[in-house]
Amino acid sequence: MRKAIFKKNQVLPGFGLTMGYTTLYLSILVLLPLSMILLYTAQMGWEDFWDTVLDPRVVASYKLSFGASLAAGLINAIFGVLLAWVLVRYSFPGKKIIDGLVDLPFALPTAVAGIALTTVYAPNGWIGRLLDFKVAFTPIGVVIALTFIGLPFVVRMVQPVLQNLEKEVEEASSSLGASRFQTFRKIIFPELLPAALSGFTLAFARSLGEYGSVVFIAGNMPMKTEITPLLIMTKLEQYDYTGATAIATVMLVTSFILLFLINLIQWWTNRKFIH
Amino acid sequence: MSIVIENVSKSFGSFQALKDINLEIQTGELVALLGPSGSGKTSLLRIIAGLESANQGFIYFDKENITTITAKERKVGFVFQHYALFRHMTVFENIAYGLKVRPRNERPKKKDIEAKVYELLELVKLKDLAKRYPSQLSGGQRQRVALARALAVEPKVLLLDEPFGALDAKVRKELRRWLRRLHDEFHISSIFVTHDQEEALDVADKIVVMNQGKIEQIGTPNEVYENPQTPFVYDFLGNVNLFKGRLNNGKLLHGNTVTNVPDGDPSETREAIGYARPHDINISRVKSDEEEVKVSIAHLHIVGPSVQIELIREDTKEYLEAELPKEHYTKLNLKVGEKVFVKPKQLKVFIPEDYMI
Repeated sequence: MRKAIFKKNQVLPGFGLTMGYTTLYLSILVLLPLSMILLYTAQMGWEDFWDTVLDPRVVASYKLSFGASLAAGLINAIFGVLLAWVLVRYSFPGKKIIDGLVDLPFALPTAVAGIALTTVYAPNGWIGRLLDFKVAFTPIGVVIALTFIGLPFVVRMVQPVLQNLEKEVEEASSSLGASRFQTFRKIIFPELLPAALSGFTLAFARSLGEYGSVVFIAGNMPMKTEITPLLIMTKLEQYDYTGATAIATVMLVTSFILLFLINLIQWWTNRKFIH
Repeated sequence: MSIVIENVSKSFGSFQALKDINLEIQTGELVALLGPSGSGKTSLLRIIAGLESANQGFIYFDKENITTITAKERKVGFVFQHYALFRHMTVFENIAYGLKVRPRNERPKKKDIEAKVYELLELVKLKDLAKRYPSQLSGGQRQRVALARALAVEPKVLLLDEPFGALDAKVRKELRRWLRRLHDEFHISSIFVTHDQEEALDVADKIVVMNQGKIEQIGTPNEVYENPQTPFVYDFLGNVNLFKGRLNNGKLLHGNTVTNVPDGDPSETREAIGYARPHDINISRVKSDEEEVKVSIAHLHIVGPSVQIELIREDTKEYLEAELPKEHYTKLNLKVGEKVFVKPKQLKVFIPEDYMI
C-alpha cells in the first residue's frame, strides 16, 4: 500500500534511489543542523526563552532585519527586472562586461563589500558627501548593503525568461492594436512575474541571514541599527549559546512562515503555466 | 479593401529578401503567396502587416499610402504559423484582447465584448473551451483560436503566415476548407503564405508564385498550373519531366528523337529544355510515330485512381515519369522491365538563361 502512494506508474526508473538520496542529503545538511537549534533552545525554560527573544533590543533588531530585507528585496525586484531587460533587449558596447558585473556581489567576500560600501556612503565618502541626509550608520545603509548582495538573484532569474519570450507574441499584441505599454503590462509582465517573484524570494531570504556586509555600514547602535544576526553573534561571543539559539529559533520560524507565504503567492501566479 | 504593393524591396544585411515587388490585390480576394523557403514570401507578408519595414517602395490600402504606419494602426488581422497565443490568458481572454486594449472611448462595453467573443467562439466551434488555457488545446484548436483572435478586431485585411504548416495532413485539409468558407462569409481581403502547392491550388482565388525574392507568376490556380510562364513555376507546381536538347527551326532534338515544337521557333540553334507533366505523357506498345521515345519501365506505383510509372530512356538513360488512369493502365497491361514508347502530348520549351535545374 505504501508503494501505491508514491508510485503512480513511473516510466523512468530510479525513483527509490533518488528519493532516498534526497531525503538523506537534506537530513544531514539541513534538517539535522536546524533541529539542533531547537534542541539547544529547549535547554532553557519558557520563561528564560520569552525573556531573551522579547527583550526590547532584540525586538528592535527583528524589525530592522525583516524590514530592511523586505525593502531590499523589493528594490531588487524592480531594478533587477529593469537590468535584465536592458541586458536582454538592447545591444551596446560593454554589454558583456556589465553582464559579468552582475555576478560580482556573489563572488565578493561580504566583509569587503561592507567596507567598500561604508567608504562610499560614509558622511565624508564620495556619495555620502553629496547627500544631505545620513546613509551609512542608519537603516538606509542597511538596506543599501542588502540590496547590493541580493542584486544578482532577480536579474539571473528574469534574464532567461526574457530571452525565451517569443517575439511573435509581442507582434501579435501590436497587430491587435495594443500600444507598447499595453503589450508590456498585459503580455510581457505576466510572463516575467513568476521569475521576478522567485528572484525576490531568494534575495529576501539571503538578506535575512546576511551579516558580513551589514555590520560595517550599520554602525550597530542598540535599538537603532542592530540586525538580528549581529545580536546572535554577540550572544555567542559572550558564551550565551542558548540565548543565541533562542533568537535563531525565532528567526528560523518567522523566515519559514514568510517564505511559505511567498511560495503560496508564487504557486498562485504560476498555476496558469503548469497544466 | 484593395492592397497595392509598389516597387517593394527589402534586404537583411547583404541578403536581398525582396527585389522590386509589384502586386495588386482586389477587395475580397483570397490570395496565396507560394514559394520555397527563402523566397521572400513571409517577408512580403510581414511588410504588408507592418511588422517589418521595406527598404524601398510603397504599400497602399484602398489607395491610401500606409508605408510608414505602424502595425498597431494598420488594423490588419495577422495569424502566425506557431499561433503566438498569449499563454497566460484563457481562450476567451485571448480573443477579447484586441477589443480590451482599445482606447477607453472606442472600447466596446464589457457586455458587447463578451457577446462578440462568444459569437466568434461559435464560429470557430470552440464554445465549450472558452475557459481553457492554450496549453490545454490541440494544434488545430489553437490555430482556430488565433484566427478568432485576429477576426475579433474586424480587420479589413487578414494575413496568414503558413497558417496550417504545423498541423497534420487531415486537420490541415479540414482547416483550409473552413478558411475558404470563412473568407467567403466575411468577405475581407486575405493573403496567406504557403509552401504547399496543393494548399494554394485548393483554396486561393489567385496565386502569386515567388522565387528568390521575385514574383515568377501571378494567376488563378488553373492559369499557373496549366500555363506556367517560367521553368521555376513548372517545376514548383507539381511533377514535371525534362527533355533537354537543342532547338532548331521549331524542332527540339533530345537524345536521338526530334519533337516538333510549334510555339517557340528561334531561327538559330540553341540549348533548350522541354517540359511536360507526367499526365501529359502518352504510352504505347508499338512505335507509330517518329516523335516517340523508346523507354523501359523501371517502377510502377499502383495506389489510388491513377498509376505512376517510372521510365528510363533507352538513349540518354534519363528518368521520366508518366501518370495513367487505372483503366488505361489495365488495358495496356504494363510490366516492370518492358520496353514501350512514349510521347509528350504537349511540350513547353524554355530556353535556359541563367536558370538551372
